Amino acid sequence: MSNAPARLPCRLIADAPAEGAWNMAVDEALLESAAASGRCSLRFYQWRQPTLSLGYFQSHAVRASHHASRACPLVRRQTGGGAILHDRELTYSLFIPQSHPLAVDSTRLYVVVHEAIQAVLQAHRVSATICANPHKVAKGEEPFLCFQRRAIGDMLSGTAKICGSAQRRRHGAVLQHGSLLFAQSGCAPELPGILELCGQPLTPAAVITAVAHELAGRLGFDFQPGELETDEFEAATGLLSRKYANPTWTERR
Amino acid sequence: MKQEELLYAKTHEWVHVDRDAAGEKIATVGISHFAVEALTDLVYIELPEVGRQVKAGESFGEVESVKAVSDLYSPVSGEIVDINGSLTMKLDQLHDDPYGAGWIVKIKLSDESALKNLLDYKAYQAQCAEEGH
Repeated sequence: MSNAPARLPCRLIADAPAEGAWNMAVDEALLESAAASGRCSLRFYQWRQPTLSLGYFQSHAVRASHHASRACPLVRRQTGGGAILHDRELTYSLFIPQSHPLAVDSTRLYVVVHEAIQAVLQAHRVSATICANPHKVAKGEEPFLCFQRRAIGDMLSGTAKICGSAQRRRHGAVLQHGSLLFAQSGCAPELPGILELCGQPLTPAAVITAVAHELAGRLGFDFQPGELETDEFEAATGLLSRKYANPTWTERR
Repeated sequence: MKQEELLYAKTHEWVHVDRDAAGEKIATVGISHFAVEALTDLVYIELPEVGRQVKAGESFGEVESVKAVSDLYSPVSGEIVDINGSLTMKLDQLHDDPYGAGWIVKIKLSDESALKNLLDYKAYQAQCAEEGH
């Protein structure tokens, strides 16, 4: 009989590309679910069209300064940090309940997830390092784009950022949301991706299972393929109409 | 304020209840040193408007650190009668003096029943020890 500690069941959700507002609504519904029911989930998704997501506290007016993405749809995330242009990338969102040991340690959770992604990238011969000493930028002078900012734990290839994440905490549960930049987008041409930096054409299929495998060991998860429960789908549908597809929310700051 | 004399919510807000000149019970609310440490480098706080009614357990504001946005939850029910506006310019006060200059809001109690759900200092310390293991 095994004496190994019980692993925490965790859904692995690999969603088809969707509109940005729906993607954000699902993320909030899954965070509520983690907070209320203790459900643990790892979700991967992409975006049906190039979309700009603002950090939670960013001013909507500032997007006008980024000319290349002006024609892109706009959404506002639950998580903080800078704007992300979601195009030739893979987005992940991890939802952990309050009961998980890393729910109270934002920095450690951030690094553990990035180390798992780093291991997968290195297996694909992508040079990836974890940023340890970012240079300080004065408050209010942070670059508009997340991938032009640097924080401890960010993933770099050379000096370019290829993966960044941010968190939202609610009633003790945590959503960690991040983006892995596969390739440069015409809507953010200043940001090279893994393809330009390392010559490796990554695909979601090549990354999702491998990252889940790495995270299973590091976070003590037992992954099972899954999808939204009925209550989560209904919650996301409500959030879509009253919040994420509503300009009042997106342009609230 | 002495930490030992405060009440605490499980979500890490502290409460000090006093009476104002009119005899109304006023709860001063902040977040604990443990919570500030867990949030790490704070960059932004959004405070509620004076006059807003809040219920115990409801979010009344939000704070952003370098990597996380977190809700601030009201430990009591009532009307927000004052906010610490200096925090928006001097967020370090939350870290440097969380039980004094780092207070966040004052709430005129409409219902005292929520106070019974709060932890005393000893029980809160036990919760922090468990979370911080």
